Amino acid sequence: MSDTDKDKLTDHEYDGIKELDNPLPGWWLATFYITIVFSIVYYAYYELGSGPSLDQELQTKLEKIEEKQNQAEMKQPDPGNVDYSQLLADNEALATGKDIYMQKCAACHGAQNQGVIGPNLTDNYWLNGKGTIADIAHVIVVGVPENGMPPWKGMIKDEDIPKVAAYIKSKVGSSPAGAKAPQGELIEE
Amino acid sequence: MTASQEKVKVQYDDQIVRMFFHATLFWAFAAFTAGVWIAFELAVWQLNLNTEWLTFGRLRPLHTNAAIFAFAGNAIFAGIYHSSQRLLKTRMFSDMLSKIHFWGWQLIILAAAITLPLGFTQSKEYAELEWPIDIAVTLIWVIFAINFFGTLARRREKHMYVAIWFYIATIVTVAVLYIVNNIALPTSIAHSYPVYAGIQDALVQWWYGHNAVAFFLTTPFLGLMYYYVPKAANRPVYSYRLSIIHFWALIFIYIWAGPHHLLYTALPDWAQTLGMIFSIMLWAPSWGGMINGLLTLRGAWHLLRTDPVIKFMVAALTFYGMATFEGPLLSIKSVSALGHYTDWIVGHVHAGTLGWNGFLIFAMIYYLVPKLWKTELYSKKLATTHFWIGLLGTLLYYISMVVAGITQGGMWRAVNEQGQLVYPDFVETVTRIVPLYYVRGIGGALYLIGFLLLLYNVYKSISMATEKPTDEVAEVINTNVKSEDIGTGHRKLEGMATAFTVLTLIAILVGSVIEIIPTLSLHKYVRNDVQVEPWTPLELAGRDIYVREGCYTCHSQMIRKMPSEVLRYGPASTIEESMYNRPFQWGSKRTGPDLARVGGKYPVTWHYRHMINPREIVKDSIMPNYPWLATEKIDYYALRKKLSIMKYLGVPYDDDTVANADLVAGRQAQEIADGLIEFGAPEEVRNKEIIALISYLQALGQKGGLSEEDKEGGSE
Repeated sequence: MSDTDKDKLTDHEYDGIKELDNPLPGWWLATFYITIVFSIVYYAYYELGSGPSLDQELQTKLEKIEEKQNQAEMKQPDPGNVDYSQLLADNEALATGKDIYMQKCAACHGAQNQGVIGPNLTDNYWLNGKGTIADIAHVIVVGVPENGMPPWKGMIKDEDIPKVAAYIKSKVGSSPAGAKAPQGELIEE
Repeated sequence: MTASQEKVKVQYDDQIVRMFFHATLFWAFAAFTAGVWIAFELAVWQLNLNTEWLTFGRLRPLHTNAAIFAFAGNAIFAGIYHSSQRLLKTRMFSDMLSKIHFWGWQLIILAAAITLPLGFTQSKEYAELEWPIDIAVTLIWVIFAINFFGTLARRREKHMYVAIWFYIATIVTVAVLYIVNNIALPTSIAHSYPVYAGIQDALVQWWYGHNAVAFFLTTPFLGLMYYYVPKAANRPVYSYRLSIIHFWALIFIYIWAGPHHLLYTALPDWAQTLGMIFSIMLWAPSWGGMINGLLTLRGAWHLLRTDPVIKFMVAALTFYGMATFEGPLLSIKSVSALGHYTDWIVGHVHAGTLGWNGFLIFAMIYYLVPKLWKTELYSKKLATTHFWIGLLGTLLYYISMVVAGITQGGMWRAVNEQGQLVYPDFVETVTRIVPLYYVRGIGGALYLIGFLLLLYNVYKSISMATEKPTDEVAEVINTNVKSEDIGTGHRKLEGMATAFTVLTLIAILVGSVIEIIPTLSLHKYVRNDVQVEPWTPLELAGRDIYVREGCYTCHSQMIRKMPSEVLRYGPASTIEESMYNRPFQWGSKRTGPDLARVGGKYPVTWHYRHMINPREIVKDSIMPNYPWLATEKIDYYALRKKLSIMKYLGVPYDDDTVANADLVAGRQAQEIADGLIEFGAPEEVRNKEIIALISYLQALGQKGGLSEEDKEGGSE
C-alpha cells in the first residue's frame, strides 16, 4: 500500500476488507453527466418537442422508397406489350428460369411442373390468363392470394420473372408422370 | 477496545455453502451441455433427434433457466451464505431455513428440467415456468429473504459492507419482479394465461426480463465481487464513495431500461424512449463497479501472472465493462434497428454470462475450495489452462455471434436503387451465417471443456483434504449494533438495515411504477375505430401449441416500424393486433422470418408439408421437422375452460362460443382437414394438433387491428 493510499484509508473494516476513500474519477463523473444531459435533451426533443414520432419517420422513409420504386417502374417496358417468345429459344434464360423455378415454385407446382398444391402447369388448362408468357409472368408478379399463391414481386428479380414464365411455358405439353388433373379453362392455341 | 466489546466465538455454517457449491457444479454441467447442444442444433437441424422433447424451441428455455437460476443461482447462494456470515459476523439466522432454501431450490430446478422439455411453458423469457412452480419459487425466495434479513438483524457488525447492499437489492427486487411478471390465471395444473395482454405483457415481461439480468446476474455478482476481489488480492477497496454513488445510481436507473428490448415495436414511443435513455445513463454506474473492482487490484497486478483466481477476476470485470458498454450502445434506437432480432444480441448476452458471471463464479470456486475443505488447490496450472480455454471459447462465441448478427441485420435491411429488398428470401440470410453457428458451437464446447478441467481440479483438491470438512469457528467482537454511535449521512444509513432496505425498494419502484402503470389502462392506447376479432377456439388451441413448441424462440410476431420490415412483411404491427394476445408472442430473435402476417400467404397444404418437413418447401431451411403434430390429438376438452378464462380477462367471446368451444373448434378443424386430405394428406390428420396450428398460422395478421391508414403504410 502506498503512502497516499494510507491517507485515504477509512476506518471501515469488514472481515479483513478495508476501504479507501478515493475521489470519483473525473472522466467517469464527466461520462455520467454527459449521458444524463444527452438523455434529457433527447427525451425533450422527441417526446415533448418537435422531434418526429416513429410513425412519422417510417412514413418519410417509405415515401422515399416508393419514389425509387416508381422511377424504376417507369423505366421498365409494360410487360403486357412485350413479345417474350424469343425467350423460348434463349437457353441461358431458360436455365435461369429453371433454377428459380426449382427453388421457389417446385414446392407447390412440382419438380416436373406436374402440380402438387398448385395446379398442373403442363396442360393447356389455365386458371388465370391464357397461358402466354406475359400472362404467366403477370400471375407470378401479383400472385393469386385467394388460392394461396403469394405475389413474387420483390422475391424474384424483375428481370428474371419473364425467364421463369418462359421456362414454365417451355414445359407445357411435357405430360409428366403423376400430373394433376386439369383445372380451369381449356385454351386452344 | 472498551469493556463492552468482549469477544465471542461464532461457528459459521459452511456446510450449506458446500452444498450450494456442489449444486453449482452439477447444474453448470447441465446448463453448459444444453447450451452446446442447442448451439449445434442451429447448425445441424437433425440434432433434436426427431423427438419433440429436444427441439430448440423447448431446450432453449431449459438452457437459459439452467444457466441463470441453477448455475448462477446456486453460485450466488453459495457466495452470499459464505460471505454474509463473515461480513455480519454471525451464523445464518436459521439452519433449518438454509436447508429448506437449498432443497427447495434444487426441487424447483428439477421440476423445470422435467416440465420445460415436456412443453409446459408460459413462453415469457426467463419466466417460462408454469404457475405451480412459480409459487414454489416465490415461497423459497421468501424463505431465503427471512433467513438473510434474520441474519442481518443478528449481525455483530455496526455497518453493512457494500456487498450486503447489493445482496439486499437483489433479494428485494427479484421478489417484486418475479411476482408481478408471473401473475396469471390457471386453466389447468399445467397451463395458465397471464393477466396482461399485448403491449402490457410485452412491457411487463421485458421490465422483468431485463432486470433478471440486472438483479440476478449483476447486483448479486457485484456483491460477490466486492467480497472476493479484495479478499483474493488482499487489497483495500479502491473507493468507498464510488461504491455509494454507483450502487444507488445502478439500482435506480437499471429498472427503467427494459423497454430497450422493444424499440421500433408497437409499444408507445414515450416508453421506448425512456428505455433507451435510461440504458444510456446506465453506462457510467455500471462502469463504477468495474472501476472499483479493477482499481482494487492496484498493487496486486503481479498476481495476475501467477494466480488463476485473479486472472478469472480481471477477465470477469473486463467482460462486465465490455458488456455494459455494449448494452447502452445496443439500446440506441438506430443501433437496435440493426442488432435486434439477430445473433448480435445473443453474443452480447453471452459476453456477460460466459465472461462476467461464469468467470467470476470460477474465480470464487477456485478461491473457496481450499478454504471450505482445508486443502490446497490440486493444480494451479490446470486452473490456468481452464482460464485460457474458457477465454478462447468465450471470444469465439462472442465474435462469431457479433459477425453473424451484423451480417444478417445488414442483409435484412438492404434495399436497392429500385426500392426492392436485396435479399427478399429470408433463408438466404440464414444460409450465409450457418458457418458461424458452427464456430459458436465450438466456442461453447471449449467453454464446457474448460469447465470439465475445473471439475477434475476440484475433485482432486477435495480428495487431497486430510480431515473431514468442518464449519469455521471465528472469534469476533460482540458488537451491540443498537447502542453504538453509527455515524452520519450515508454511513448512518449503512447501520440501519430496515431503512436501507426500504430506500432500496423505493429506488426500484419509481421507474417500475412510472413505466408500467400507464400501460395497464390499455384502452387509452387502443383506437376505437379499429376492429379486432379474437381467435376462434381452434386458433386459440393452435396458439397454445405454438407457445408450447417455443416457436417464439426463433420467430417474431412484430413487424417493426422500419421500411425494410414493411417491405418484407407488410404494414408495421399495431397495438390493437395483439390486444387479445395472452401471452404476447413478439419474440426476441429471428432465426426464421417474422410471422405476424403469415396468415393467408400460403395454402394450408403448404403449411402441412412445411411442418412435416420444412425442406420440402424451403430447400435450405434449418427448422426441424414437427411430425408429432400430425399424430397428437387436439385437446378439445380444455377449450371451454380456456375460453371462459379469456372471456373473464376481457376478450369479447359470446357465451355461446364459450359454451360450445369444443364443437366450434371441431367444425373448423373438419374444414381444414378436408382441404388437406383432398390434396393428399392422410385421413389420420383429422383432429390432430397440426390442424389447430395451421388454423392459427393462417389467422395471423387476418384478425383486423389495422386502420385504413396503417394498411397504406405498407401496401407496397
